[in-house]
Amino acid sequence: MLPLTHYLFLSFALLFIGVIGVLTRRNLIIKLFSIEIILNATSINLVAFARLYGDASGQIFAMLTVVMLALELLVALAIIAAVCSRWKHARPTDEKDLSPQLDY
Amino acid sequence: MLNHILNAFRTYMHGDGAVLLPEMQLLLFGIGALAMDSWASNTSNEGPGGDAAFQQKYWNPAIALAGIAFSALTLWMLRTRIMQSGDLAGFHMTLVVDSYFVFFSALFLAATVLVILLSMNYAAISPMRQSRYYALLLFACMSMMLMVSAVDLLVIFLVVEAASISAYFLAATPGLSNRTPSAALKFLFSSALGSALVAYAFSLLYGLSGATNISQVAVALARRHNVAKVIALSREGGSHGLQMLQLLQSRLPEAVHWHAWTLEALPITAFLLVSVGMILKFAVAPFHQDDKGVNREADFGIPSPVILYLSAAYAIAAVALLLRSMFTIFADSQNIWWVIIAALAIAGISYGTFASFCQTNLERILVYLSLAHMSYVLLGVVAANEGAATAMTYYLFTYLFIATGMFGVLVAVCGKNTSWAVLKDLSGLRQRSPITALLLIIFVLTLAGAPPTAGFFGRYYIFRALLETGHRYTAWFVAVSSLAVAYSYLRVGVYAWRSSKSETGSRAVTFGIPEAIVLGICVFVSLAAGLYSEPFTRMARYAFGQ
Repeated sequence: MLPLTHYLFLSFALLFIGVIGVLTRRNLIIKLFSIEIILNATSINLVAFARLYGDASGQIFAMLTVVMLALELLVALAIIAAVCSRWKHARPTDEKDLSPQLDY
Repeated sequence: MLNHILNAFRTYMHGDGAVLLPEMQLLLFGIGALAMDSWASNTSNEGPGGDAAFQQKYWNPAIALAGIAFSALTLWMLRTRIMQSGDLAGFHMTLVVDSYFVFFSALFLAATVLVILLSMNYAAISPMRQSRYYALLLFACMSMMLMVSAVDLLVIFLVVEAASISAYFLAATPGLSNRTPSAALKFLFSSALGSALVAYAFSLLYGLSGATNISQVAVALARRHNVAKVIALSREGGSHGLQMLQLLQSRLPEAVHWHAWTLEALPITAFLLVSVGMILKFAVAPFHQDDKGVNREADFGIPSPVILYLSAAYAIAAVALLLRSMFTIFADSQNIWWVIIAALAIAGISYGTFASFCQTNLERILVYLSLAHMSYVLLGVVAANEGAATAMTYYLFTYLFIATGMFGVLVAVCGKNTSWAVLKDLSGLRQRSPITALLLIIFVLTLAGAPPTAGFFGRYYIFRALLETGHRYTAWFVAVSSLAVAYSYLRVGVYAWRSSKSETGSRAVTFGIPEAIVLGICVFVSLAAGLYSEPFTRMARYAFGQ
């Protein structure tokens, strides 16, 4: 195992990338990916700490985080599908609005 | 065989299951509401009108209210049990039932009852989807009750996610026609970001302590100063350092990998992330409506009862969870992190207040100011004494009823157009319906913090607690910003008091029985909690076990 600070820096970098991604990107799918990146950073943290302590609850926490993320993505994609099924037919034509867009 | 199953069931219900009993009732009745809908739509093939419409209109709220009644009954039984034999803990000490849980669960049940009553006649919720809506309300209430019951990092994260998912589905409740839930999408992204930050903070807390139960995390955080000293000593050279290293390796082998600064920096980072994450959860404000140049009929905002539920009940759940975590995990280093929470709360108050100055949309004003109210409650954490704890729970309790009353008046005045109601829709209310105008003035004065009402006392208790613990500048900020908040609310009240000059606002104000019940309860609480606040402060103190 590498020194612990390496794992911490990696997960912090991923956290930072994810937060910037959610705040900056306008494409809805990329926003979802960025939240997924943050949760993967969490999982890296958890598994590294579980290895450090020899404790299994970190790994279980990581697995359940993935499960909850999957559910959240399900909900998000359902809502996006509802939104885009209308936007495909009648996409708002004035581009000066700042609503998020989906490029498909 | 049957005996075996029954015995297992009985053991479960006496042990772990007792912790979950109120939530189980809500779950069962939520599933029942969904099943009722499929039964009703199978047996009646006609469209809206006739028997089918009646069934769908009143069975769903009836089942939901019955579910809440049963859940309240079991909650009362749990309260008696914990008064006699102490707090309950179940599921390997991850869920507790203590007075904090009983208080806030009762509050959430009351909030759900009020929202169900308000949405019974709310025309902008499609009657075809009502069963899903009421079932979702019950599931959301269940997950909020779990939020105040969880004491394990993993379980806290799970129930926060569950509550968020219920909130996303509620926010995306379809309206009368095919509308797109784009406002729900914005709410989803900010809330999901909040959840992710909370998850990262929990991973840091787990890493610092090696345990997920929050009391064990608290113990580990409390002794981290000593561990930091030992680590610093063990990294020095010489025999003394070697001795310290051996001591560390024998007692706490994993700490060999820590630097001293990580033990100081990581808890603060975790605290910051938990706070920001949970604040993102109740900052519902700008998302209730997608109004950037899109078609008003096609893109709708979140329905009004739902926005009330999210900005009041769900926000209270988030704040309650944050309070429990702050009072348990981070309790020892409060003199370090109170600056962070004070800064966040002051930012929240300022943002909510200033953003509501420029708004003309009524709901947006109320929802922006709800962020300000929740930030006031967070300022109570800065002054962490018993008076502050009482002040916070009193404020949360009264805020729920006052906000519900305000939204109830709005729904009564504007009907299904409440999401788009602007200030001048209120003008002439005095002529249209003097009772509604009076109710509106009462709620406006309460929210603004006029002295004999509950809103004043909430902020006053927090102000007094801050002064008692010596946070003078924060206390004076509370006082001064209350004036700004009062201005925002009085702006709304002034419009109702003016007489109508134009033809806008000629819609008749309709009151059904459910709205009348809701408004009556809310007026009673907002006046009684101010005029005779002793029972309410006693309830608030009960939440912390006194």
